[in-house]
Amino acid sequence: MRRESYGFLLVGCFVLAGPAVADEDFGDSTSATLTGKAWAALASGDFARVSVFTGRCRELYAGEAAKQQAGLTDFLPADKVHDMWALNDVGTCCFIEGQALEKQGRNADAAAAYKQVVESYGFAQCWDPKGWFWRPAEAASRRLAQLEFDKVLDAK
Amino acid sequence: MRSEWRRCAGIVALAVLRTGIAATLASRTATAAEPSRGPLPVVIEGSAQDGFRIIRGGTPFELRGVAGEERLELLAACGGTTFRTWGIESCERIVAGSPLLDAAHALGLTVTVGIWLGHERHGFDYRSGEQLDRQRRAVEEAVSRYRHHPAVLFWGLGNEMEGPAGGGANPIIWREINTLARLVKQLDPHHPVMPVVANVNPDKIRAIIEHAPDIDVLGVNAYGGVTAVGRTLRDNGWVKPYCITEFGLSGPWEVEHTAWNAPIEPSSRVKAGDTFSALKVIMEDHRQCLGAYAFLWGHKQEATWSWFGMLTPAGEKTPRVDALVRAWTDRWPADRAPVLRETDVPLANATVAPGEKVSVRLRYEDPEEQPLTYLFEVVAESTDRREGGDAERAPHAVAGAVQRSGRDGDVEVTAPTNPGAYRLFVTVRDGAGSATVDNWCFRVTR
Repeated sequence: MRRESYGFLLVGCFVLAGPAVADEDFGDSTSATLTGKAWAALASGDFARVSVFTGRCRELYAGEAAKQQAGLTDFLPADKVHDMWALNDVGTCCFIEGQALEKQGRNADAAAAYKQVVESYGFAQCWDPKGWFWRPAEAASRRLAQLEFDKVLDAK
Repeated sequence: MRSEWRRCAGIVALAVLRTGIAATLASRTATAAEPSRGPLPVVIEGSAQDGFRIIRGGTPFELRGVAGEERLELLAACGGTTFRTWGIESCERIVAGSPLLDAAHALGLTVTVGIWLGHERHGFDYRSGEQLDRQRRAVEEAVSRYRHHPAVLFWGLGNEMEGPAGGGANPIIWREINTLARLVKQLDPHHPVMPVVANVNPDKIRAIIEHAPDIDVLGVNAYGGVTAVGRTLRDNGWVKPYCITEFGLSGPWEVEHTAWNAPIEPSSRVKAGDTFSALKVIMEDHRQCLGAYAFLWGHKQEATWSWFGMLTPAGEKTPRVDALVRAWTDRWPADRAPVLRETDVPLANATVAPGEKVSVRLRYEDPEEQPLTYLFEVVAESTDRREGGDAERAPHAVAGAVQRSGRDGDVEVTAPTNPGAYRLFVTVRDGAGSATVDNWCFRVTR
């Protein structure tokens, strides 16, 4: 059976499970590993683990990411994208977090995560296995507009 | 390319027009060719660094567009300023008693006048001097006929004529586009020339820059990837302005499919949100993007009859129109379409037995609290799927599959006795000119 509800009906209907940080396997704890694990958790709908991995990535690498972002005035070309490893992975993790929050109906929190991508990690780029780099800030902008629309659509 | 169907429909319509109103055609043509008001020159000022803007008749023009030529009075009332056509025959359509361009002008609307160019996948040969000569004469005739009309905004040169081969970078085609662009500009220096392509990629952009330097604006049709168009153009050296000439939502070729390979149509709610968010993001490019044309102001069969149409076949506006108005004006229209709130559709993407009865519950709300009516239909899955938006035949509805259609969203569906793929459609009407359409795929197997 497929049952769906939309908009305000979803808001506040979910409770986050507390992240079990101590038990988690972070692998080699590189930003790439943590981001990969966050993607996998998102794909399996395990939102608590998404939060664990994205949180760890930010905890370890947000400082370096901020420095890398501050040193840029534009997106780097494809052959130099990986120089900004921390920026790319922390920006992507923020976007993943927004996706997880959105899937839980926590739209306000999701919007905050997407805004952070746009405002703090705007030059992050992420490799798509299909063969190109995409830009988390662009995707986050689109999601922000979508959330804005949902909000006005449901306003009484 | 979403729109060759438009060309085919236009040709049929033209044939009907020609037989039915031949006596008046000459006078209408004369009116269009020599309007008393004369042309309103359109220029594009600025640069990629400082930002481009359209100046029409000496005044800044804000491009709020749709692709399609139905219900022009509704478009004007919604805050639209322009629409685009695909083939020159559209200009000969009679709308509310007037030729299309006159009708548009009377409503304060402008037109990107489409001039159809041949596609190699349809047999046109860009190496054939004879075919090229014939096409050039057709372009010349079209521009000469309508260049003085004050409703003309841009010339829309072709629609996705570059085709998919070689990534759309075939230099032979782009050299011909440049020849045609120069021809149009010689005939009409007052309206920019805008070839329309199917999305962009690095090879295509470089080919256009190298082989078609005389075009003024690049029109880009893009769906799922529309928000990356501006960046892709800039990253590959495009310094002229561009327009998004078709956009709206993900196409059937971009979405998840069922186990039996039926594309799952986004809900009415998602489609409206996609249209709104895409336009918002497109409009953030204040430098090079001149504006966007939402697809489709009308309706068509492409995978389903409801996928792209912003209007129902009866001419009612759908939630995507409301989303456009909101994005354009920051306000809702006075009457909004019903909003999808809840679905309980056990059929959705499921397999059922022949004759199996399934209860479906839907909840829609009308923002103005008008009473709603629900029309349910079971329709066979389309088997006539084409490339690039070419015309498709609509499948038939299944008689007797729906037990009741009424004033609420509860219905019992009896699965068809013939095995196969189907969709359950619902059209929810507010009785005030707006309607919302959704559908769910299901399969019947023994």
